[in-house]
Amino acid sequence: MFILKPHSGVPIYRQLLEQIRRMAASGQLPPGTELPSIRDLALQHAINPMTVSKVYSLLEAEGVLERNRGKPMTIAAGARAAPAASKRARHLEPHLEQLVLAARQLEFGEADVVKALRDHWQKTVEKTDDRPVRRRTAAR
Amino acid sequence: MTVPYAAARQLAKSFGAKRVLDEVSFEVAPGDVVGVLGKNGAGKTTLLELMLGFTAPSGGSVQLFGHDSYRLPGAAKARVGFVPQQDELIGQLTAADQIGVIASFYPRWDDALIHKLCQACDIDTRERIRAMSVGQRQKLSILLALGHRPDLLILDEPVASLDPLARRQFLEQIVEVAADVRRAVVFSSHIVSDIERLANKIWIVKDGRLYWRGDFDALKESIVRLHVRSSRPLPQTLTLPNALSLERNGVFATAVVRDWTDELHQEVGEKLDAQLEIENLALEDIFLELHR
Repeated sequence: MFILKPHSGVPIYRQLLEQIRRMAASGQLPPGTELPSIRDLALQHAINPMTVSKVYSLLEAEGVLERNRGKPMTIAAGARAAPAASKRARHLEPHLEQLVLAARQLEFGEADVVKALRDHWQKTVEKTDDRPVRRRTAAR
Repeated sequence: MTVPYAAARQLAKSFGAKRVLDEVSFEVAPGDVVGVLGKNGAGKTTLLELMLGFTAPSGGSVQLFGHDSYRLPGAAKARVGFVPQQDELIGQLTAADQIGVIASFYPRWDDALIHKLCQACDIDTRERIRAMSVGQRQKLSILLALGHRPDLLILDEPVASLDPLARRQFLEQIVEVAADVRRAVVFSSHIVSDIERLANKIWIVKDGRLYWRGDFDALKESIVRLHVRSSRPLPQTLTLPNALSLERNGVFATAVVRDWTDELHQEVGEKLDAQLEIENLALEDIFLELHR
């Protein structure tokens, strides 16, 4: 269900936190989806149960998860709408930074980049049968 | 206030004229999983042995459950489980007999748990210990430390001879222990990824001192690599606040910094007229950086 890399520089709790947030925001985990119990998730990834419980609590406080007495945690009803576009845009920022940097190193101006981006966008959309491009997670 | 499971203050140990540990202070609370990291000879084993009361401190104090480790009453001893680096099994005994010997020390021995774990770990209890491989012995040694359901489990390099499968089983055992918030684990290991998975606290032992002690997530968020790219050549004499290391090359610089904050980030960026990029480091990289 989740991809956790203990060896990445990003703390495990943050990897899990961001994955659940993203999957709830995009609707990949629709409201009502049951999450694994703390113990099961900890055992499955051989990680500290406290890490999982910390993430669940943080997400509950954010309104992404709902605690149900005696039952598994679920994705909350309002979770999908929760992260505003401005919040999602934060995930784009590092990519934009890279793009602008590369463009400047190659001595392209703003207009060149905007045009190249538009062309590329259209090519990609055509390739994927006019389906909207899926947001890619920062794979690192 | 509850008494911490383990606590040390200004702990020191010398062997002859050689000081191997100095100014070590720590606390272990219920629910902690502490990963102890350090180079060979940094003093990890000595630290664990002082904690267990196997040897007397040369200075300072260390307590388990509120009692001096060196004079630990029986009831407190029964709450501690220990897996030594080198097992202390008796070669002539079968595994079953060895289990019986250890079980006889503890009123709270959980036979069903050990039986289950022996099966899960492929340990034939009829086999004589001297006929076992190093890995089998190590597995048995770990099981023996779990049988009395200790509140505090201390392990010194417990997985060195385990194959990946057995190591995973071992990790799952630790997860089970850690799932109980009344228990605590302290383990030293060179397998950094195991520590990354399980520890919520990290102690880094360096040259006989506790160089870092704290929340693991805080460590990962505190020590980062910084990539600096300025629009003009960086000065020869470039320094950065809190830098552990720094390399400069024209308009670029790479540094490993400690306690980096958003405020520092902005301040330095403006002062150097530079783009700063933060790279999070894996524990192994952090460890290497701290030993440069």
